[in-house]
Amino acid sequence: MLKIEGLKANIDNKDILKGLNLEIKPGEVHAIMGPNGSGKSTLSNVLSGKKGYEISGKVTFEGKNLLDLEIEERAHKGIFLAFQYPLEIPGVNTNIFLKSSLNAIKKSRGEKELDAIEFLKLVKQKALDLKFDEKILSRQLNVGFSGGEKKKNEILQMSILNPKLSILDETDSGLDIDALKIVSEGVNALRSKKSSFLIITHYQRLLDYIKPDFVHVLINGKIIKSGKSELALELEKKGYENFN
Amino acid sequence: MEEQLKTDFDKVVKSLKLSEENIKLRKKNLNEFIKNGFPNKRKEEWKFSDLNQIINSNIKELTFFNTDSKPSYIEETLYIDNFVHNKIVFINSYISNIDFSHEKKDRIEIIENLDLIKNNNQTNTLVSLNSAFLSNYVKIIIKENYSLNKPLIIYNITNKKLDSTTVNLRTDITLEKNSSLKLINLSNDDSANNFININQNFKIDKDAILKNYKIDSQDNLNIKYFFNNIDLSYNSFAETFVFSTGSRFIKNEINCNLNDKYSSAFINGIINLDKSKHHEIKTNINHLAENTKSYQLIKSVLDDKSKGVYQGKIFVDSQAQKTDGYQLSKALLLNDNTEFDAKPELEIYADDVKCSHGSTSGNLDENSIFYLMSRGLNYKQSRELLINGFLLDVVEKITDIEIKNFIKSIMGVKE
Repeated sequence: MLKIEGLKANIDNKDILKGLNLEIKPGEVHAIMGPNGSGKSTLSNVLSGKKGYEISGKVTFEGKNLLDLEIEERAHKGIFLAFQYPLEIPGVNTNIFLKSSLNAIKKSRGEKELDAIEFLKLVKQKALDLKFDEKILSRQLNVGFSGGEKKKNEILQMSILNPKLSILDETDSGLDIDALKIVSEGVNALRSKKSSFLIITHYQRLLDYIKPDFVHVLINGKIIKSGKSELALELEKKGYENFN
Repeated sequence: MEEQLKTDFDKVVKSLKLSEENIKLRKKNLNEFIKNGFPNKRKEEWKFSDLNQIINSNIKELTFFNTDSKPSYIEETLYIDNFVHNKIVFINSYISNIDFSHEKKDRIEIIENLDLIKNNNQTNTLVSLNSAFLSNYVKIIIKENYSLNKPLIIYNITNKKLDSTTVNLRTDITLEKNSSLKLINLSNDDSANNFININQNFKIDKDAILKNYKIDSQDNLNIKYFFNNIDLSYNSFAETFVFSTGSRFIKNEINCNLNDKYSSAFINGIINLDKSKHHEIKTNINHLAENTKSYQLIKSVLDDKSKGVYQGKIFVDSQAQKTDGYQLSKALLLNDNTEFDAKPELEIYADDVKCSHGSTSGNLDENSIFYLMSRGLNYKQSRELLINGFLLDVVEKITDIEIKNFIKSIMGVKE
């Protein structure tokens, strides 16, 4: 589904990613763990198309060159980034925004767009499935949301947009244990043979709730070790230092 | 210009049957204008908007007398059909229709006698110009305890039949004790490169309520000066909303006198410009009595080579203890060729007051755009969402729901 070969990214003359290789197949859950400054967020930004990076290497998504696509085209193809810090957008109603998003994606795929009633029905069901209070959706996008509400909102958006590849950028940061459970259950409910996940995290904690198929250790812009989910436990014990 | 002013002035006076006293007053105003001319940037209040220069570069030949006499036709297609309303219709320099058919006849007095006009602001040269050349005038008195059933729309229409390059209009409105009025001023221009000078004066008596929504949304090349004077009495309330986007140039000057206790004035405005448009909102809020309140929120969105200006002055008299004055300006500059100037002024002579002001300007937040685009919206959609969101809270300040929805529909703002 996603194949990254020799990916390098540079911002303000600073090399952040220094030749990264990774392959994710449909239905797989991969976790990338790494210390601060290792390039975790850069990887998620580069994959979702954020501007400002100088990029080399090759990234294909379902066989197509991903790096040539605009941000929204990547979303149309089925890539979703759950932000580490979801932005507050004053004056933009969450429901209206989400409906525009979903319909933009549907339109790009030649599918029938949803009308207001169909959309509200969908949202209600998704919110119920994820045990989220749908009231937050009638508020302005993330404005005045608590850290937990923002992250829940990301997961709800993810479930509504139904992506093929979801990238979770430190979704666990700033969450208390209850919120972490709810968010994880939400992610687990979305796991299927078709949808893949790339979970980027600092701590092993999240992986207690979302069990990955593969764990990769990212240090200084490169994946230095890959393994099964047990690698996360080993990492937690030893710390990043000993992996250098 | 002086010759033209004098010739046209004689024509105006000749065309109207005026009292000697009125002609004398007009002459005084004419001389005042001849002496000072159009204001330029050397005048402090005009330093960001050099009207003299703007007029010189946009209007080839200034003329002040319109030969098209009172039009017999009424351009009904220009009326809005969003809701039932009363109307006063100005076409070019003339009143073509006054219709209060939704109201009790004896509760509204309509006066059209030009001889009754008194000067209210001698220091304003554009008001002098207006007073000298005014050829039609209406004064509305809303009687004690009467609230109009329907809003009043004042249509300011110009069309190709306009054959002078300046238009001077004036409306005076008195709200007697405990009365109320919802007013919309709506511009509609099918003319170009004219100077349109509209003067409106409001006298709001005890416990009365005025809501005034000023909408200039249609793309046109006219140059406009709107002067509003609002006098507020005990416990009266004035809400002004300005939507400034259509014309080549507009300066909206709003002068508010909070003359008695518990009176309050709210001014909210949107300046939304493209091309090389240049709009200004200038306010003077005078707190002249105890426990008076003023609130101002102005938001500007500037694109292409446009320029926005907000000059907000709050004056607090030594008598005006417990004043509550607030003003905030926020501007969004969509590219590097735009300019926004803000000049807040606080002049405070009382010691027990609460006054604050703030001004910010900046670009669209790239991270917010990235966030919205990562959800499948393209750049244009994301930008529109952010701009609408930026402006929404000003629109939400509109206290009349029907008119708020009308203005939202004009702006294309959703929720």
